[in-house]
Amino acid sequence: MNSQSLLDRDSFIELNARSRARALLDAGSFRELLGPFDRMTSPWLPRQGVVVQADDGVIVAKGLIDGQPAVVLAIEGTFQGGSLGEVAGAKIAGALELAAEDNRRGTPTRAVILFETGGVRLQEANLGLAAIAEIHAAIVDLRRYQPVIGVTAGTVGCFGGMSIAAALCSYLIVCREARLGLNGPAVIEQEAGIEEYDSRDKPFIWSFTGGEQRFNSGLVDAYLEDDSTAIAAQVRTFLRQGRPDSLRSDCYAGFLARLAEVDTRVQATPAAVRELYKKGFQA
Amino acid sequence: MQSENTAPLWGKRRAEKKRRLEHVANLADGKVLPTARIVSALETLIAPGDRVVLEGNNQKQADFLSRSLAQTRADTLHDLHMIIPTVGRAEHLDLFERGIARKLDFSFAGPQSLRISQLLKDGLLEVGAIHTYIELYARLYVDLIPNVVLVAGYKADRQGNLYTGPSTEDTPPLVEAAAFHDGIVIAQVNEIVEDGSELPRVDIPGSWVDFVVQADKPFFIEPLFTRDPRLIKPVHVLMAMMAIRGIYERHQVQSLNHGIGFNTAAIELILPTYAAKLGLKGKICKNWTLNPHPTLIPAIESGWVESVHCFGGELGMEDYIAARPDVFFTGADGSMRSNRMMCQLAGQYAVDLFIGSTLQIDGDGHSSTVTHGRLSGFGGAPNMGHDPHGRRHATPAWLDLLQTDSPLERGRKLVVQMVETFQGGGKPTFVESLDAVQVARDSGMPLAPIMIYGDDVSHVLTEEGIAYLYKARSLEERKAMLAAVAGVTPIGMQQDRRESERLRSAGLIALPEDLGVQRSEATRSLLAAKSMSDLVAWSDGLYQPPARFRSW
Repeated sequence: MNSQSLLDRDSFIELNARSRARALLDAGSFRELLGPFDRMTSPWLPRQGVVVQADDGVIVAKGLIDGQPAVVLAIEGTFQGGSLGEVAGAKIAGALELAAEDNRRGTPTRAVILFETGGVRLQEANLGLAAIAEIHAAIVDLRRYQPVIGVTAGTVGCFGGMSIAAALCSYLIVCREARLGLNGPAVIEQEAGIEEYDSRDKPFIWSFTGGEQRFNSGLVDAYLEDDSTAIAAQVRTFLRQGRPDSLRSDCYAGFLARLAEVDTRVQATPAAVRELYKKGFQA
Repeated sequence: MQSENTAPLWGKRRAEKKRRLEHVANLADGKVLPTARIVSALETLIAPGDRVVLEGNNQKQADFLSRSLAQTRADTLHDLHMIIPTVGRAEHLDLFERGIARKLDFSFAGPQSLRISQLLKDGLLEVGAIHTYIELYARLYVDLIPNVVLVAGYKADRQGNLYTGPSTEDTPPLVEAAAFHDGIVIAQVNEIVEDGSELPRVDIPGSWVDFVVQADKPFFIEPLFTRDPRLIKPVHVLMAMMAIRGIYERHQVQSLNHGIGFNTAAIELILPTYAAKLGLKGKICKNWTLNPHPTLIPAIESGWVESVHCFGGELGMEDYIAARPDVFFTGADGSMRSNRMMCQLAGQYAVDLFIGSTLQIDGDGHSSTVTHGRLSGFGGAPNMGHDPHGRRHATPAWLDLLQTDSPLERGRKLVVQMVETFQGGGKPTFVESLDAVQVARDSGMPLAPIMIYGDDVSHVLTEEGIAYLYKARSLEERKAMLAAVAGVTPIGMQQDRRESERLRSAGLIALPEDLGVQRSEATRSLLAAKSMSDLVAWSDGLYQPPARFRSW
């Protein structure tokens, strides 16, 4: 790459959640619902001595993509690690449910979810988990009408219950600095021991859960440079393709069959994971 | 007349060295000491009361030799006088706890500073003095001449020729002090090759080295000069813009040293963007004395940098440096040669400007990184951060600080302190009294450990503005100028606003607006690289960041 193209590159990771949403919508169409001036904040955080954020870390942005109605749900990774509590979770679930309702009434609203999240917000435990379950249900509902697109660019990545939400999406887009996994590295280290999984060994962590590995294992659909223009273009490409022929989450029997083939006595390697998943997910 | 069997009067050191070397002849294979026998070799080659130099600085550490020395028997070896540039490893202080060593001369003790204070209190350790780097090297040739010098390198051949490569750092002056005064030189290396032709090049000739030993594992080295661009904040960008307009451009700074920190990393990263837009390329920041900061890569790649001479190397930068020999100092083999002493001297005498950060500044402009309970020392910053009165050559920046028309006035080096008014945790940077004063009192030092004295500081730059201290006509005015940029710290709160306005209209201080710096423009988008992976892309894949800096 030459110097000028490096200077011109428009990093998506650099953008905050609101700017990311704006970058994906058609120019001038961005309109925020339940924005910071509505002061819909978490009622639980102040009781635990945590400062709230006026949007509770989730941006609901209505607008157009390719001239068609769309809603972008962007999680702000810098607020409480992108964790989802009662309000943040309800903003996403509610917006997805309304988009499905739009479709039933003849307005073909599509949804894009920007995942930068460690999963449930521990301070709001059960209420956050319930909200995440509602998000799962809403994605499954909406994807019957329109593709639901997930993007995880980094640097927080996507973990916990929200990694399940990502897996339910019709299409999933990642960048190199993204990580995608059910349990975060520190949790795995705690459970499996540091010999098995050293959470501070960053190249090791990314070699299993990083964007490139997840793409090469067939768990995501596009692997892109950290570039706003490229990500916006890929979102449009997937939307034009419409609903995919088969959904990854419908192939659970195939995943279970692959997992049954794993010899857990042998230390797993990133290459072995790729080999295994390359066999495909048909049972 | 001297009788035949008394020691020759003028060769006592030589005779003693010969005696010790003969004692290990049965143990050594020529110049090669066996790894497994190193502890008994050290017990034989070193004698109680010896002055022993142990190579260790903020980057490379002769850690195999220091670990081995700490395993010697204290009834055999005791009362050693250790000379360690950077006391960075636990075993350095185990030597004192175990009674092997007694006295310590050093320069910097960052990671071990608390424990030094404790050992001092317990009476187990006696400090000779705390030095700057070149001061300590210099004393090896005057009143701290060593008996034994322990150093580290990458490779050696069986004749003792050493390849120290990009991490040559302190090795030459340490070795020379012993090699030419009948001291004993022992080098640990990562690999011993059979034949000299297998060495990339010779950095230290074999005739200066008495023994080489293969280390049990490669020498420890710390990537101290890597800053992740992702952690640079808009306030750092604002301050970087002010530095470029209000200091570099104004005084035509062409040669310089940058301290390590996010402020200076921000300056390096906005040269290809902000400074380029101002048309400053080729006019400022051409010649550098600097470790190979990864954040300098975009400026190098876009043609800003003519030369960089380095104190030491930086992990991951080796291949990039080797591919840019016009910029860096490299050997015929292609790899870099660093040299801390030369670079310290260059940073002292040959550059227009030093810019660095500190933890505390008092009302007179004295600064220190010493805080309560810690005896951290100086390292190299004071060498760069002062106006050397032995300088005679003129450059535009040096002449630009002249205040009178007198042909007898001397030019002046720019010594810039670039600090946010508050440190992390809400601690003010500008304070009534430096912690260093109390620390000196508590530990019986003759003087307070000042990093940079107020009268050497020419500019103080904060997020509030720049104080052009070199223009102060009195001590009172100087204090007022400092207070004017000290924000809401105790020092800043004393300032009368009208006095600040007067200083501003007199051009003694400048706010961003006075410099043509738009606060609204101070965003991360000005950074030519915003992440470690951007730096790799700028280097065409040649820079390989250490694992802990990777997020892919």
